[in-house]
Amino acid sequence: MKILVCIKQVPDMESRFKLNSEGTWYDESDLAFRMNEYDEYAVEQAVQLKEQLGGEPEITVLSIGPDRVVEALKKALAMGADRAVHVKDDKYYQKDPWQVASVIAGHAAGQGYDLVFTGMQSQDRGSAQVGVTVAELLGFGCATTLVGFTYDAGVIMAKRELEGGSKGVIKLKLPAVVTCQLGLNTPRYPTLPNIMKAKKKEIVVQAVSELLKEAEVTGTGGMYPPAKRGGGIVIEGEVNDQLDKLMRILKEKTTVLRAA
Amino acid sequence: MNFELSQDHKVLKDSVRDFVVNEIKPLAMQIDEEHMIPDDLVRKMGEMGFLGSYLPEEYGGAGLDMLSYAIVVEEVSKACGSSGVLISAHTSLACGPIYTFGTEEQKKKWLPDLNTGKVIGCFLLTEPDAGSDAGAIATTYKRDGDHFVINGSKIFITNGGYKGTGVLFATSDKNLKHKGVSAFIIDLQSPGVEILKNEKKLGIRGSYTTAFALDSVRIPVENLLGQEGQGFKIAMDTLNGGRIGIASQALGIAEGAFDLALAYSKERKQFGHPICELQAIQFKLADMYAKIETSKLMTYKAACLKDSKKNYTMESAMCKMLASEAATFVTKEAIQIHGGYGFIVDYEVERMYRDAKITEIYEGTNEVQRVVVSKLLLS
Repeated sequence: MKILVCIKQVPDMESRFKLNSEGTWYDESDLAFRMNEYDEYAVEQAVQLKEQLGGEPEITVLSIGPDRVVEALKKALAMGADRAVHVKDDKYYQKDPWQVASVIAGHAAGQGYDLVFTGMQSQDRGSAQVGVTVAELLGFGCATTLVGFTYDAGVIMAKRELEGGSKGVIKLKLPAVVTCQLGLNTPRYPTLPNIMKAKKKEIVVQAVSELLKEAEVTGTGGMYPPAKRGGGIVIEGEVNDQLDKLMRILKEKTTVLRAA
Repeated sequence: MNFELSQDHKVLKDSVRDFVVNEIKPLAMQIDEEHMIPDDLVRKMGEMGFLGSYLPEEYGGAGLDMLSYAIVVEEVSKACGSSGVLISAHTSLACGPIYTFGTEEQKKKWLPDLNTGKVIGCFLLTEPDAGSDAGAIATTYKRDGDHFVINGSKIFITNGGYKGTGVLFATSDKNLKHKGVSAFIIDLQSPGVEILKNEKKLGIRGSYTTAFALDSVRIPVENLLGQEGQGFKIAMDTLNGGRIGIASQALGIAEGAFDLALAYSKERKQFGHPICELQAIQFKLADMYAKIETSKLMTYKAACLKDSKKNYTMESAMCKMLASEAATFVTKEAIQIHGGYGFIVDYEVERMYRDAKITEIYEGTNEVQRVVVSKLLLS
């Protein structure tokens, strides 16, 4: 079995974000980056499957982006992936989800992958389109938002998270793409010996221009932070005056007192 | 000149940090209160490879470098100084000398269990009357057939309470001073090894600081480490490397306290504003951060020099000095920024302040470090 895990490196969500000069993406200077959290579950699930199958499957982990994404690839290698593909692209943020998916599909074509794991979405762009589009381009089956995964004799049982806390279980034959939701498993910590072993694993570098054949179909119109919230209103005065003021605000500014 | 960590070191740092935040940080207060690190955490740190980071893979180590080791101790110490010194004393003072001075047979016999954390290591040099003056030790050894027989006592032995594997120093004749000292690998489960007590301390309370009586302890002759009479050199060389570990521990404690103080200064409001808007607090933060960064640069430099097999004696003495003094300064200011809350156990900087002090003392007092540096300057 050949497994592909698609991961993205994203800014640490604790960071303070500033917009870039074009106002189309965030400014990357001074940001710390880490593996997209959803993708950590994808890597872990792939490694668990490899362990379940006695180490037979080969896991390739792929990431698109500038040189820094190698850190995320190395982490995945230290978690148990076998080899990595770095699709080098300094302007990755100008690609729309369609192009990103087509780059991944371009790499995957002819590689004979049976199963593709990826996160349900990235923490920075959050389009949740790449996984399903890759499946479509490769002609694979697809299940999204996995919170449970089992595999037996060529068939995946995928537990999916639905609205309102209900779950759905679907069966899926290989080849397939699955996208992983938070809580699917407990991603392991890369141990020091495995970080050392990862240094000896292969990282193939491919230029994005070799794989990108598609033009963008959507473009970023603009990006802006939420408006700063005001400091709230302090109502002062006699209790009765306070109540009157509060009632007036509730009537004028909110819907809570309006008749249905 | 490039001051950035390599990608491999960044991956390591992030991975260690994730482990520390999830597995160690939540236990730090308990470790301080109960005066012990849970066995389960020691086991997990062993599985993570924290207890043999820079030792070669063939002896059960992770095969990484000294800089990786410094990063591990630093990251762990951000959350828990006791766990930091467990790693530092174990790795630098037990695994280190066995690897550097041991025979192939000794390395194969002792290192795999140490490097994977199955056995915890310690360094038995200090005695009631021999601290900084290590040549004055009075614990004796005498050859008796296939064994050396050891008599004496040791105090302030970090990790001693685990009764694992120790690197022990004893003299054939006290009058020979440092020339009479030899080093031995000792299994502390041997008959005649008795724990007199685990000390109660100001800080790093989760770390064992043990006093031993050694009564006719028989050590097989093959456990002699290096040559007879080479013990003092082994001790000094070992402490030289150990200082990088203690500097990293001190650095971590300082960073842990700084992070808390910085966050608190943004949350705490007085006179209608967060206190970080007051210049008095801003200047404290600037001084704290500058000391942390200075210590970090010197600590990483010492580690990199050791990695590239260059002389690092001066830098290891300086990084230990700088980082430990940064730790006592930063933790003190962190309490000041917290005001009364900083004096309360629940706010953690109180523990960090107590944990910091020992870093100015052990593995060579800062006065000894200044002797080392000035001697090299004037030699």
